[in-house]
Amino acid sequence: MERSFKEEVKSLRLGAGDTFHGEGILAVTKALLQSGVSYISGYPGAPVSHLVDVLTDAEDILEDLGIHFEFAANEAGAAAILGASIQYPIRGAVTWKSVVGTNVASDALSNLSSAGVTGGALIIVGEDYGEGASIIQERTHAFAMKSQIWLLDPRPNLPTIVDMVEHGFALSEASNTPVMLELRIRACHVQGSFDCKDNRAGTYSGRNLIEAPKFDSARFCLPPWTYSQEKQKIDVRWPAAVQYVAEHKLNEVFAGDRNDVGIIVQGGLYNGLIRSLQRYGLADSFGNGQIPLYVLNVTYPLVPAEIVEFCRGKTSVLIVEEGQPNFLEQAIKAILQERQQHATVVHGKDVLPMAGEYTGEVVIGGLGKFFAAAWPEKAGAAWSKPADDIRLIKENAAKLLREPVPVRPPGFCVGCPERPVFSAIKIAEKEIGKTHVTGDVGCHIFSSLAPFHIGNTMLGYGLGLASGAGIAANFKKRVINIMGDGGFWHNGLTTGVTTAVANGDDGILIIMKNGYAAATGGQRIVSTPGSEKAKAPPPSIEAVLKHVGVNWLKTIQSYSVSTMVKSIVEASRSPERGLKVIIADGECQLARQRRIRPINARQLSEGKRVVRTRFGIDADVCTGDHSCIRLSGCPSLTIAPNPDPLRKDPVAQVDNNCVGCGLCGEVAHAAVLCPSFYRTEIIQNPTLWDRLIDGCRQFLIGLLRSQRPVHA
Amino acid sequence: MSTDVRSVNILVAALGGEGGGVLADWIVTSAIFADYPVQSTSIPGVAQRTGATTYYLELFPRRRADLKGAQPVLALTATPGDIDLVVASELVEAGRAIQNGFVTPDRTTLVASTNRVFAIGERTAMADGRFDSELILTTARHLARRAILFDMSEYARKAGCPVNAVMFGALIGTQCLPIDRAQAEQAIRESGKSVDSNLRGFALGFDQIGKDADRMEGTTRSTRPVSMSDAVLNRMRSEFPPTLHETLAHGINRLIDYQDAAYAELYLNRLKPIVALDRQTNTVLSQETARFLALWMSYEDVIRVADLKTRKDRVPRIRKEVRAGEHEVVRVTEFLKPGLEELCSLFPARLGQRLYDYGRKHNLDRQLNVGMYIRTTSVSGFFLLRLLSGLRWWRRRTWRFHEEQALIGQWLKAIERAAGRDPALALEVALCGQIVKGYGDTHARAVRSFGLIRDRYFAENILTTAEPTFLAVAIRDARKVALADPEGAALTKQIERFSGARAPSKFLTEDITT
Repeated sequence: MERSFKEEVKSLRLGAGDTFHGEGILAVTKALLQSGVSYISGYPGAPVSHLVDVLTDAEDILEDLGIHFEFAANEAGAAAILGASIQYPIRGAVTWKSVVGTNVASDALSNLSSAGVTGGALIIVGEDYGEGASIIQERTHAFAMKSQIWLLDPRPNLPTIVDMVEHGFALSEASNTPVMLELRIRACHVQGSFDCKDNRAGTYSGRNLIEAPKFDSARFCLPPWTYSQEKQKIDVRWPAAVQYVAEHKLNEVFAGDRNDVGIIVQGGLYNGLIRSLQRYGLADSFGNGQIPLYVLNVTYPLVPAEIVEFCRGKTSVLIVEEGQPNFLEQAIKAILQERQQHATVVHGKDVLPMAGEYTGEVVIGGLGKFFAAAWPEKAGAAWSKPADDIRLIKENAAKLLREPVPVRPPGFCVGCPERPVFSAIKIAEKEIGKTHVTGDVGCHIFSSLAPFHIGNTMLGYGLGLASGAGIAANFKKRVINIMGDGGFWHNGLTTGVTTAVANGDDGILIIMKNGYAAATGGQRIVSTPGSEKAKAPPPSIEAVLKHVGVNWLKTIQSYSVSTMVKSIVEASRSPERGLKVIIADGECQLARQRRIRPINARQLSEGKRVVRTRFGIDADVCTGDHSCIRLSGCPSLTIAPNPDPLRKDPVAQVDNNCVGCGLCGEVAHAAVLCPSFYRTEIIQNPTLWDRLIDGCRQFLIGLLRSQRPVHA
Repeated sequence: MSTDVRSVNILVAALGGEGGGVLADWIVTSAIFADYPVQSTSIPGVAQRTGATTYYLELFPRRRADLKGAQPVLALTATPGDIDLVVASELVEAGRAIQNGFVTPDRTTLVASTNRVFAIGERTAMADGRFDSELILTTARHLARRAILFDMSEYARKAGCPVNAVMFGALIGTQCLPIDRAQAEQAIRESGKSVDSNLRGFALGFDQIGKDADRMEGTTRSTRPVSMSDAVLNRMRSEFPPTLHETLAHGINRLIDYQDAAYAELYLNRLKPIVALDRQTNTVLSQETARFLALWMSYEDVIRVADLKTRKDRVPRIRKEVRAGEHEVVRVTEFLKPGLEELCSLFPARLGQRLYDYGRKHNLDRQLNVGMYIRTTSVSGFFLLRLLSGLRWWRRRTWRFHEEQALIGQWLKAIERAAGRDPALALEVALCGQIVKGYGDTHARAVRSFGLIRDRYFAENILTTAEPTFLAVAIRDARKVALADPEGAALTKQIERFSGARAPSKFLTEDITT
């Protein structure tokens, strides 16, 4: 991790009497320290990366409290770490992006939840759902239900979130069950404040070690104990959890003036619901209003008695539940049915959409339909107006804009070393034709978007190569499989490489070696070149590949486009069967810039010679067909109004964000494009010799120069 | 509950890397100084990698001290009709906020920068794929309660700060928030990074509000001075209508600069018959033909490129563009990759053609494509390009010249034929003059596309007998496809569709090649 979180770390030290100001996910981190955890782990991924990022810089706090912190190899590893809480009364917490991380972790999670825990075990999942999400849209809720892990979904304000972290551990211990705390993207990034408590050390920790091993067969996952564990979940742990939730009033009831209608809502959606009720004049800015609300800060397990009590006397109740299937709605209907409470009509997905994020706009529409059905005495127009207004606003805007504004799909950063690899594939395609390309999770998957459109399938993290095996066997051309170094260590080495070698699969694997888990914010991976913090020398991907039997192996600097093109063509045509691996070697440019910018700035201020490189385009040589952009897509390679009075099409232009990676020149060469590109090296703080040589050159060039007028 | 105090809701629309997060932090910090409850959230996602990013903030305009512990409930997502202030760092991002319904006449103040950061779709278009900025500006003025539109990036450049500081100044300047200037500036100081430049940017943004702020500075096209002293120009003045003079003068100057006065004379000779046939009052046919003819006649060959790269004003221009300091040394390296075609194109017509065919047969075309790095700020590199640019006198004898003039002749002939029948048809043919451009592979593809269109639509019997409106539409479609599809496959399909179309004249279904 090259970025520093020193400022954030300071707020982790705050104690009783202090007020914390900051981001939701950082508040969770602080709450863990207040809860006496003994170990923390996780795998980075938006929106929870900051939890592990910040702890990387918080070594001394962790040391003071005796907390063990480590990056797990993947989410399965992180979940397995919670095994420490099975037999021993120590608290632990892990984090990852869900639902994908939970998928990877599910083997360990099944075992963990079957065995049950002695010490509190908390899993903080970043629910990557709705706008800004980068993964498939599924609910973590299903995992909670199938494994009986309790699921917290707190109201998105810092005091409630922190409170629920602390209750989460207590609930876990009271019911001997691991607990998940689910935070949506915006809740992770919400800025707010809460009153701190002192940090505290766990009963056992790095400072107070456990002396004797413990074995309790009731907590060991092997038959016949697994049979009794399942029964124990139902007979003992579940009721204990329901009792804890009810006793500590983790779910909240907000009274309203009306008694005949009510709304049951997931805690995370509470704020949006209040804002939507305001549109109908049914709530004020503090959440007080006419409609009674039952807010589920715990969405699993439900507390039947509370639900029955809330619904008593109400003719209609609306359930605001994001995502599908509608587990809460089904469960609540079943509870009311079992208790013979037939008088209450339960609405949910009949008035709200089954799929998709519940933004204010969506909830407003659903509320209108619900009130129209539940509250017929008020005129229908009042219930449809808010949603109609929004529709009209948008229709009007669309009409005035005439066509949709251009989209901005994510792409590679300026100077990204992965871009040249896809430029090379695109150029190589001219020679070998298009083939099937399997993508993988990581920044490199942006290749499937404009301008490259390279990538036919994507099956999950580290699975690029594994997902190509079936296609390769049925495809005329050699399949190209892409994998990042992050995915390689996450599971790609075993799931993909060793298996492909053992099975004698014929294919091409391109490994993007940028040195970091770049897509999640540049976290270190095991092969990241050493830093003073590293505890062991980093392994070499090349050595590992050779060792597992990869014979055709080339490491190519990712900016050498021509060499890359040649190697791809060669790998595609080589008569040799078996796995052919090309390692595209180029450091993540974000990480690189973070590293070298301060160094350059220091050298400049010290008056030392620094050479800055930048690319440029001669506007009068550029003919404005933009082929170069189609083969690159670099954000700094853009367009500008044509300075030529006879031309109207914009010219290509390199803007000042250019870091001088040189790809545009390389591409212009490799694809035989155009002579408008030039590279400039700006020698800052030039030496006397630099200036002397330059002066002589300029003098001689002046003599050679034509005396024609500058320009027509 | 209409008397209820409601939150002030702010949507910040920015691009990854523009410091939208820092801006949100400044707003939060200054609100805390002023003792107001505030909440911000964001969807950064993959924003640092070029995407659009939004920050959403709500501020409750009652001091905490007066609230006595009551907690307002603040929303995490923006809802259309709910937004008091939209601040956008770029014009299309302002357009996106408008499109999403976040700008409404009853309450939204829109503060947007008028500069453009082009989206990938706009950049990769073959010709001009830019979204019409004017549409966003008019819509903004129409839909916002108050629209403040100015080029914030320019101010940021002036202040030497990221655009976020200018945005912050402008949004505080609108007085939509109960935060005063001192509290806002204190937040910048508190954040501790690049304080001076950020304060400068803040001041520029702040001062812009209430001035002639919502006036958009137009992007001015730099027009090079035209010297009207030449004999060719005199001839132009006496023989061509005044509406054409500006375009023609640009063309004449360009061609004198490219070759010589005689070449500019040829330009006028070529235009004469078409101008004579153009009876439209707007002279659009003459204008467009004159424009594309000048560009085509000054096609970019090795000699031209070498000439442009050794001009006296080039290095000073580059120094300015890369913002090189006065005492810094700048070295310029050209990326050139002349191939077999470029080499042969310099030979006399027949010899060049033969050499090229020979080279192709023996597969020399790829082998000869050697990437060259020529440093034009070194004496030897400059000398080499000077030698090439000196070949201007030889240009008329070259194979490339011969080829280009032949294509130009065919194109002009087709315009003339069409002009005799229908002005709209002639204009469509004239606009095909923009197809042939570029270098290397791009040029080869363009020539191929032009050839396909010429063979299919410009044949004498088609131009003189086909139903003109039908043909004009067909040509326009084919031209658009040729310009939009870099690989050229779509054009072949488009032309096949034309052949198969139920055309008003029966000959269109026959296969005709010239």
